[in-house]
Amino acid sequence: MFPGIDGFHWTIGHIVFLSLFFAVVATIFMTVISAVWRTNRDFQTHRAAALCWKSDFADLPEKDRRCRHELAGRVIRRTCDNAFDCRHCEKYSQFAVLPATRRAQSSGLHYPDDRFYHRGHTWVKPEEDGTVTMGLDELATHLIGDPDSWVMPTVNDEIELNQTAWRIQKNGKEIQMRSPLEGTVVAVGSPREGWYLKIRPRLDLRDPASLRHLLRGPEVNGWIARELERLQMQLRAPNTPPALADGGTMLPHLMDVIPEADWEIVLADTFLGT
Amino acid sequence: MASSVLTDSRWIARGAERTSLSRFLLWLAPWAALLAVGVYAAGLCLYHGLNQTNMDNRFAFGLWIFLDLGIIALGAGAFFTGFLVYILKRAELKPILNTAVVVGFICYSGAVAILMIDVGQPLRAWFTFWHPNTHSMLTEVTFCISCYLLVLSLEYIPILLRNRQLRKLPSFLVFEHQLHKLVPVLAGVGTLLSFFHQGSLGGLYGVLRGRPFAFRNGIFIWPSTFFLFILSAIATGPSFLMLIVATVEKVTGRKLVPQELYRRLGFISGLLLAIYVAAKSVDTLIWLNITSPSEGFAPWQFYIHKPFGTPILFAEIVVFGLLPAFLLSYRRMAAHRGWLLCGAAMACMGVLLNRFVLTVQTLAVPTLPFDEFLSYIPSWQEVASFAGVIAYGVILYSLSYRYLTLFPKGDETHVSGN
Repeated sequence: MFPGIDGFHWTIGHIVFLSLFFAVVATIFMTVISAVWRTNRDFQTHRAAALCWKSDFADLPEKDRRCRHELAGRVIRRTCDNAFDCRHCEKYSQFAVLPATRRAQSSGLHYPDDRFYHRGHTWVKPEEDGTVTMGLDELATHLIGDPDSWVMPTVNDEIELNQTAWRIQKNGKEIQMRSPLEGTVVAVGSPREGWYLKIRPRLDLRDPASLRHLLRGPEVNGWIARELERLQMQLRAPNTPPALADGGTMLPHLMDVIPEADWEIVLADTFLGT
Repeated sequence: MASSVLTDSRWIARGAERTSLSRFLLWLAPWAALLAVGVYAAGLCLYHGLNQTNMDNRFAFGLWIFLDLGIIALGAGAFFTGFLVYILKRAELKPILNTAVVVGFICYSGAVAILMIDVGQPLRAWFTFWHPNTHSMLTEVTFCISCYLLVLSLEYIPILLRNRQLRKLPSFLVFEHQLHKLVPVLAGVGTLLSFFHQGSLGGLYGVLRGRPFAFRNGIFIWPSTFFLFILSAIATGPSFLMLIVATVEKVTGRKLVPQELYRRLGFISGLLLAIYVAAKSVDTLIWLNITSPSEGFAPWQFYIHKPFGTPILFAEIVVFGLLPAFLLSYRRMAAHRGWLLCGAAMACMGVLLNRFVLTVQTLAVPTLPFDEFLSYIPSWQEVASFAGVIAYGVILYSLSYRYLTLFPKGDETHVSGN
């Protein structure tokens, strides 16, 4: 069949068949090699993190992909199709000028106005020296309580937007905290200090678009109200039908108080896990 | 709330509701037992040889070849759906693309496994590539099926790498993304390979001059059965996919794809089946009036042996051909899910009957004056290996449905308690 093998003849039939066969085999292998090469290139050019996040984002339930303008009450209903990247959203400016109808409700959780909030329940606070501080928001702190341990990056490490910035262990579960911003780590904190990381952002914070992807003001109110509703559903007692909220404030240390809850799902939903 | 200690929820896609692990294992248990028996039977055949079967030199095509031809035809939904979605840009079929790939992978890997048992001598499997018979259509079949199984594996990998735990590895996720972008290339290659091996599987019966019941004239080097096999495979592939999805919906109590998709698949299947029936009818008339007489045989003499009488020919063309084509493509009938699925089931039975006729009936009917009508009952080892492949398919599909994302999440809705 093949040259040098018994039965091979230099006939048109053999040559056409072999050419077709090797063309097919070459195409298959080139496809795989191309995929491997592109994968390697994506890691070298820092595109891998964005691709991973886009894939994770596409996997989020639709109710978790609500547009910030819906959260603020600027539009009735809109699903984000841009992986929460308002920095490059063509529709952002169109809706941002609309009046926000969402009013602040008393949730018992404190969300200071000097911070910007990521949907993975981390916050960013710009400092005067050009760095930013990152930490866990109030809802996440109430949920986790005191972490059993935490794994932090080291100074000078590069962290990428929406990728894991630090890890927290609690009751045998590992929680990956998504980074609200890309940059270089300049200092490492701890839960006791109320902040986890200080980074020097890769983007110039003087550009107002640099933090545009993070939530502020009425958007935060709408977002937290929905998060509390979700938690109320997920943490209700077994075999209890859904009930309307009856006020009250969120208890701290929920992972310790309600250990029987399906924390795998609750934590994945809360921290945009996979 | 989590109630059992044994749980696999971390492997199940977010938002996907699946039955408890214990119920799932209970469902798998009988299939696993069947698979174990099949593996044992296959081991016997490989260790002791084909004396474990009831085939012999005269009846060399048995249950296994029927299974191979049958599942390869039914698995055509994989390449044909890929062709429709990626080449013809029929985006409305995307919701069943992943299931088509998994079903195709199961069908082809099952067929290759059975072929390995049937051919025997697994240590010399590479001979078929290095010392192929250049005059045999089986060579083309071997090359194409091997390559296409490789293509299906590559199409399956992105689905696999999207598993909730596997995707946590960034390199897997990025590779999945890049490979998925190249899937249209694989779909094109798959279409080419499938076109030829489906055809060659039919062609290899059509060229059997010593078996006038199967022998056919054709175009250039390809007998008419070459084209009939392609047509029947692409006609029934979508029907088989419909049946699979409907069965999964029934078992899981969930609605997985919109009803409109069923109608769309049914129409495609019905239309192609109608073309196939027309072509098959013309081919049969040519064989009855020209091919068989020119070889010195009165064609009806092949139908005097019971149970292989003319009713089988009638069933093949009318009952499992024309009738399902009508049920699948006629809008009023296709509007009823029951009739639609009935048509799909009949279309699948039709293609299986066609493969049965070309393998078993072809060998059973006598050709030479001193020949006798041969009967063949498969041994338990053949039946067990056959059943093992079915069990393998059910297990692999069940695992894929549970741990991978086979259907778009938005389409998956709860219908009844399960």
